[in-house]
Amino acid sequence: MAAAPRPGSEGADPALPLPAHIAGPPGRRRTPPERMPVYALVGNPNCGKTTLFNALTGLRQKVGNYPGVTVEKKVGETYSQHGHAMRVIDLPGAYSLAARSPDEAVTRDVLLGRRADTPQPDRIICVVDACNLERCLYFVHQILDLGRPVIVVLNMMDLTARAGLEVRPAELEEALGVPVISCAAVQGRGVVELRLAMSRRELPLARHSWTVPAPIAPVVAELQASLVAADGRPPLIARAEALLLLTDQDSVRVAGSTPLSAVTGAVLENWRRRWTGQGTDWSGTLIKARYEVIHGLCREVIRRTGDCGPSLADRADALLVNSGWGWLAFAAVMAVMFYAIFALAEYPMNLIDGVIADLADRVKDAMEPGDLQNLVTSGMIGGMGGVVIFLPQILILFLFVGLLESTGYMARAAALMDRPMSRVGLHGKSFIPLLGSYACAIPGIMATRTIENAKDRLVTILVAPLMSCSARLPVYLLMIATLLPGDAVPAATKAGLMFLMYALGTAGAFGFAWLFKRTFLRGDPPLMILELPPYQPPHFGEILRQMLERAWLFLKNAGTIILAISIVLWFLSTYPKHPDPAASPEVQIAHSFAGEAGRALEPLIQPLGFDWRIGIGLVTSFAAREVFVSSMGVIFGVEGAEGDTAPLRDALRAAQWPDGAPLFTPLVCLALMVYYVFAMQCMSTVAVVKRETNSWRWPLFQLAYLTGTAWVVTFLVYQSGRLLGF
Amino acid sequence: MSASPFPLIPLCQLPAGETGRILRLTGDEGFCQRIREMGCGEAALVTKLSGTTMSLCRVRGMRLALNHRAAIGILVEHLPLAPR
Repeated sequence: MAAAPRPGSEGADPALPLPAHIAGPPGRRRTPPERMPVYALVGNPNCGKTTLFNALTGLRQKVGNYPGVTVEKKVGETYSQHGHAMRVIDLPGAYSLAARSPDEAVTRDVLLGRRADTPQPDRIICVVDACNLERCLYFVHQILDLGRPVIVVLNMMDLTARAGLEVRPAELEEALGVPVISCAAVQGRGVVELRLAMSRRELPLARHSWTVPAPIAPVVAELQASLVAADGRPPLIARAEALLLLTDQDSVRVAGSTPLSAVTGAVLENWRRRWTGQGTDWSGTLIKARYEVIHGLCREVIRRTGDCGPSLADRADALLVNSGWGWLAFAAVMAVMFYAIFALAEYPMNLIDGVIADLADRVKDAMEPGDLQNLVTSGMIGGMGGVVIFLPQILILFLFVGLLESTGYMARAAALMDRPMSRVGLHGKSFIPLLGSYACAIPGIMATRTIENAKDRLVTILVAPLMSCSARLPVYLLMIATLLPGDAVPAATKAGLMFLMYALGTAGAFGFAWLFKRTFLRGDPPLMILELPPYQPPHFGEILRQMLERAWLFLKNAGTIILAISIVLWFLSTYPKHPDPAASPEVQIAHSFAGEAGRALEPLIQPLGFDWRIGIGLVTSFAAREVFVSSMGVIFGVEGAEGDTAPLRDALRAAQWPDGAPLFTPLVCLALMVYYVFAMQCMSTVAVVKRETNSWRWPLFQLAYLTGTAWVVTFLVYQSGRLLGF
Repeated sequence: MSASPFPLIPLCQLPAGETGRILRLTGDEGFCQRIREMGCGEAALVTKLSGTTMSLCRVRGMRLALNHRAAIGILVEHLPLAPR
C-alpha cells in the first residue's frame, strides 16, 4: 500500500518538490508577503458559504435555503485583525472536485489554478455543514490533497442538537491538524474566530494522510509524474488531478479547459485498458477508500445524542412531496401568491398613482405649454410613471419567491415537479431555474449551471424565457385592468386570469421541452438525486434585502432604459410636425416617424388584432417587456387631450381603429397577453443565453422560435375569437 | 455480489420506515460516481422515509430525494431489524 505524501511535510516526495512560491518551513505555510492573500470559500451546496462570505466582506450576495444559489465565483475583501486586506473568493458549492456541472467546474478550476482571471487561492476555507459532516468531509478530504493551508468552518453548529448530534470541533482539529472553527453564520457566531484564524501569518498544514488503495497507487504516481513532466502541472496539483482522473471516468470533463497531453492521455488509457480487462472499478475503489478514512474520523468526532426516527421534517416531506396533499399545497401557495399580487398591492398602487398624477399636474402648471412641457409630462413622467406604479406587485412576487427559497420549500417543489417534468424529458432539478425565471429569466438561466447533463441544461435554457417573469407583470396587469376595469370585478377573477397566463407559459415551456428532447436534443430520461435542505423559519431580513435590491434595480431600470426609450419614443412620435399646427393629436402621431414605422409594421401584426400603435410598443419593448407600458403611456398620452394625467387604461379603452371600432377589445387584450407569454422580448436574456451557451446559434434560435410561436398562437387566439363572435 | 441473507431489492421498493444497506449501484457510470461521492456508495445504510415514484431517504444524516429511475438502480439489502 502506498501512502500519500503529506504535502509540505518531511514525508513529501523529494522528487516532486513544492512550487517555490508556496514552499515554506516543513509543516507550515506562509502566504507570500508581497501581495494580498487570497482565500477561497468552498464547500458542499447549501452549507452557508455565501452567508459567511457576506459576514466577512460586508457584501450582500444572494443567499437561499436550497442547493445551487451561487453559480459563479464572487470576490470580496475583508481585513485581518491587524487591518491588512485579504481577498475572499466565494465559489459555487460542489460535492466533489470531480466536477459534473458548470458551476462545480468553476470551483474545480479556481482551486486547481486553471482560471486565467483568478489567482490560485493561497488558503482555502472549507465550510462544512455540521449536521452532514460525513458527506461534507469527502470534499474537504479532496481539498486537503491540494496541499494548501486549510481552515475548516463547522457551520450550522446551532442545528446539531436538534439533529440529535454532538459534534466535537477540538477532536476534528486534532485529527486533521488544521484550524477548525465552530460557526453559526446566520447568527454571526464564529465569524470573529474565523477572521482571527485567517489573520494568522502561518497556518499548519494538514496532518491528513490517507492510503491510496494498493492497485491504484502505482498509476497515481505515474500519472502525477506525467502531468508534471508533460503537462507542466505543479506537483501537488498534478497529484490531485491524477486522483480526479481516476475518480471521474470522463477524462475530457476532468481536464476541462486544460486538455491532457498525448503522453498523459496514453498513460491513462493504458491503465484503463488493463483495469477494464481485470474488471477493476478504480473510481468506486478510490471513493470507498476516502469514505473509510472519513467514517473512522466521524466516529471520533460525532456522538449521537438523540433519536434518529422519523422527524417532523420527514413527515412534512412525505406529505409535501409524495402525496396528493403536496399538489394541493403547491396549488394553494400559487393561488395565494397571485391573489396577494392583486389584493395587497391596491393601496400602495393608488398611492403611487396619486403621486405621479400630482407631479404631472404641478409640472404642467409650472411650465409654458409647448413641446418641452409635453416632453416632461407625457414623455418622461407619463412613460416612467406608467411602469413605476407596478412596483408594489413586483415586490409581492419577490416576497413569495423569497419565502419559498428561505423556508426550504423550493427544493420540495422541485422534487414534487420531477414526475410531470420527467414526462417531457426533464427532471426536477430543472424546476428550480424555471421557478426562478418567474422572477427573472436571467438568474433562472444562470441557475441552470447546476444541471449536470449538457442537453438537459440547454433544453432548460431554451424554455426558461417562457416562464412569465416579473417584467411581464406590468403588461398583464395593464391588459387585465383594460379588460376587466373597475372594482366591480373581484380580485379573484383578475388573479385567475393572470394565473392562466402563468399557466400558459409553463405549459408552453413543458411542451417545447418535450419537443426538443424528442428531436435535436434527444437523450436518456434523466436521473435525479436532490438533497433536501432543512426546513427553516423564513429569514425576513434577507428576504427584505432581496426585495429592496429588486426594487432598486426596477427603479434604476425605470430611470435609465425606460426613461431613455420614453424620450426617444416621444421624439419619434412628435416629429416631424404636421404642416397644420391645428392637426389633432391622432393625425400628428400618424404623421410622425413613429407613425410611419408603425404603419410599415402593421401588415405583419394586423392579423393578430394589433394596430401600428401597439406595433410600436412591441418593437420598443424588445429592450425590456415593461417598456410596452411606458410606450403606450407616451403614445396615448400624445393622442389624448387629457392623456398625461388620465389613467392609461382609460386611454386604451378609448382607443379606436380609423373606422371607429374599439382597438383594445377584450379579445385584443387577451391576444396581447398571449403574445407576451411566448415572445422573447428581452435583450438582456438574449445576451445571457449567448454567454451561457458560448454561441450565437442558440440565442438566435431561441429568439426565432419564441417570436414565431408568439405570432402563431396569438393569431390562432385572435382569429378563433373572431370566428366565435368575440 | 455479496451473499446477503436478506433480500436484494431496488431502493424504490424498500418499504417506508425501513433501513437497507446499499450493495450495488447499477446504470449510468457518471451517476454512480456522483452518488458514491455523496456518500451513497456500497455499504452505506439508507433509511427510506417515503415514496415509490420519488424516494425520500436518509443517508449519512442527509435527506435525499431520488426519482424512480435513480432509485431503481440502487440495490439494497433490506435490514428489517437494523437500528436507525
